[in-house]
Amino acid sequence: MTREISVELRNVDKVYDTAKVVDGVSFSIKKGEVLVLIGPSGCGKTTTLKMINQIIPHTAGNILVNGEDVTKLDPVELRRSIGYVIQYIGLLPHLTIEENINFVLQLTKRPKKEQQERALELIETVGLPADYLKRFPRALSGGQQQRVGVARALAADPAILLMDEPFGAVDPLTREQLQNELMRLQETIKKTIVFVTHDMQEAFKIGDRIGIMKEGKLVAMGSSMELVNSDDEFVRDFIGRGALFDVLDTISVTRVLRKDIPTIREGEHFDKESKMNGWDNILVLDERDAFLGYVSIENIDASGKISGDAVQRVADAFPAELSIKKAIEEMLYGGRTWLPVAGDDRVFKGIVTFDSCAGLLSKEGGS
Amino acid sequence: MEVFIQAWNYFLNRREFLFETLGDHFMLVVWATLIVIIIGVPVGILISRTDRLKEIVIGTVGVFYTIPILALLGFLITIMGVGTRPALLALVLYGLLPVVRNTCVGILQVPEMTKEAALGMGVNNLQMLFKVELPLSFPVIFAGIRTAMVMNFSLATYAVFIGAGGMGRVIMQGIRTYNTGMLLAGIILVVVATVSLDRLVGYLDNRVQRKFSLVE
Ligand SMILES: Nc1ncnc2c1ncn2[C@@H]1O[C@H](COP(=O)(O)OP(=O)(O)O)[C@@H](O)[C@H]1O
Ligand SMILES: [Mg+2]
Repeated sequence: MTREISVELRNVDKVYDTAKVVDGVSFSIKKGEVLVLIGPSGCGKTTTLKMINQIIPHTAGNILVNGEDVTKLDPVELRRSIGYVIQYIGLLPHLTIEENINFVLQLTKRPKKEQQERALELIETVGLPADYLKRFPRALSGGQQQRVGVARALAADPAILLMDEPFGAVDPLTREQLQNELMRLQETIKKTIVFVTHDMQEAFKIGDRIGIMKEGKLVAMGSSMELVNSDDEFVRDFIGRGALFDVLDTISVTRVLRKDIPTIREGEHFDKESKMNGWDNILVLDERDAFLGYVSIENIDASGKISGDAVQRVADAFPAELSIKKAIEEMLYGGRTWLPVAGDDRVFKGIVTFDSCAGLLSKEGGS
Repeated sequence: MEVFIQAWNYFLNRREFLFETLGDHFMLVVWATLIVIIIGVPVGILISRTDRLKEIVIGTVGVFYTIPILALLGFLITIMGVGTRPALLALVLYGLLPVVRNTCVGILQVPEMTKEAALGMGVNNLQMLFKVELPLSFPVIFAGIRTAMVMNFSLATYAVFIGAGGMGRVIMQGIRTYNTGMLLAGIILVVVATVSLDRLVGYLDNRVQRKFSLVE
């Protein structure tokens, strides 16, 4: 699948006096992709982010936004077309939540009515009650303010969002909630997001790709699985030993589902010869394709009917959102070797097994 | 006790004259304060942009502050003669320091983070000033204006020495003519007016501070 490049950095440097704080950074981000930048404090993440919307001008190299060199664009227009969320106190304390959300629309003098409707829509999008619109930022908790920050960044419907440790100042529970909401939101809005964090778990959870920075250089870039399997010592040290399980907790079992297992609807006939695909058991579904249990091939008689009450009924199917880590735990502690998985509508989707999980590790392993 | 009765009688008899004089006094202060705002706020904004200019300007306005008012008035008579205009100029010179300084300080204390967020949303220079910096430094600027106004209200009693009107005239005339009723009536009126003004502006200040409070 090839997608348009939304943001591209080519050999970008930032030099202050004599210190090179960003050193030859290159990467490109596809439209709708979430790129996370992570690294030790002071490694140049924020500087890299701010060069994209030219809050900090770069010293050398090229930065392209939608294919256009940012130095050729009006910086004010460029910034209005890019959503920007910073760690905190980014809200203007003298404006109501509504005025804060509409700040960009107001700068560009959009009609009042449009502004009101947009604010109402956005406050709901970020999960706050509409009567908060009339409040002032100081009346809101940190997590609520951060939601408003996200709403404000979305107001002008920018294609690109820059987020600098947006959830860094809230408690861990709120952070997890905000992360989940952002990911749910991203499924529908499909923005191009550059997200800076110092929290590896957050990076694994949110990033389609993760870039690791060190002393101004981008030292590694890849999916979470690629980074976990990296041979680079700094990368391994940086992401730590427990990282594999953190990553597995962010990947849903739909990635490792086996769908080749034979199934039979209760009461229907089964053609043993053609459909077994090498399996010894057949899964039994009800008339709506919800998982019921399984039956051994020996219990299917010559006519293809299940004999007697041979169906082994095991626990219900698991939801498709189940993470691979949870699936492995479920199998280990539950003494099982496979789990059935169903969608929201309870329709059976496939099974996850130890082998299929291990397959993910070797398939994406190496570099 | 006698003197208070005299003062009361004087007040009753010369009410109109007293209130007219108080009105002149007040108008002198209002004009001075307006001019101070019109000059002081832009100067304060300007000097908040560069460190060097800031030192020079704050130093210069600070000098006016240290000149005794009588010396300043005397000097102004030699170049402008007597009348309301030199009195107004004196009050403006005194009022500049708190307004210039507070505007500059107010703008400098706007959090970098807030300005950066606004910049990231695409404000231009003017919008940064009018939509972010000025509203957020308004409480501090207002406090400077309050100081200038209340101070000018007391200082304006000296305007009599330069031939301008105001409550100073009532007091001086009371002293010169040994009219204790007049003297005391003038003093009480000016004290009550100063305290009331301070309270009123203080109340407004309080409202402003609360509305614009930066407490998260
Ligand atoms: N205005 C500046 N002048 C000089 N050095 C700066 C300036 N801003 C940032 N730096 C330096 O640049 C480096 C990278 O900073 P930053 O991008 O904020 O790091 P990070 O966001 O990864 O913590 C740091 O060492 C910091 O001290
Ligand atoms: Mg940073």
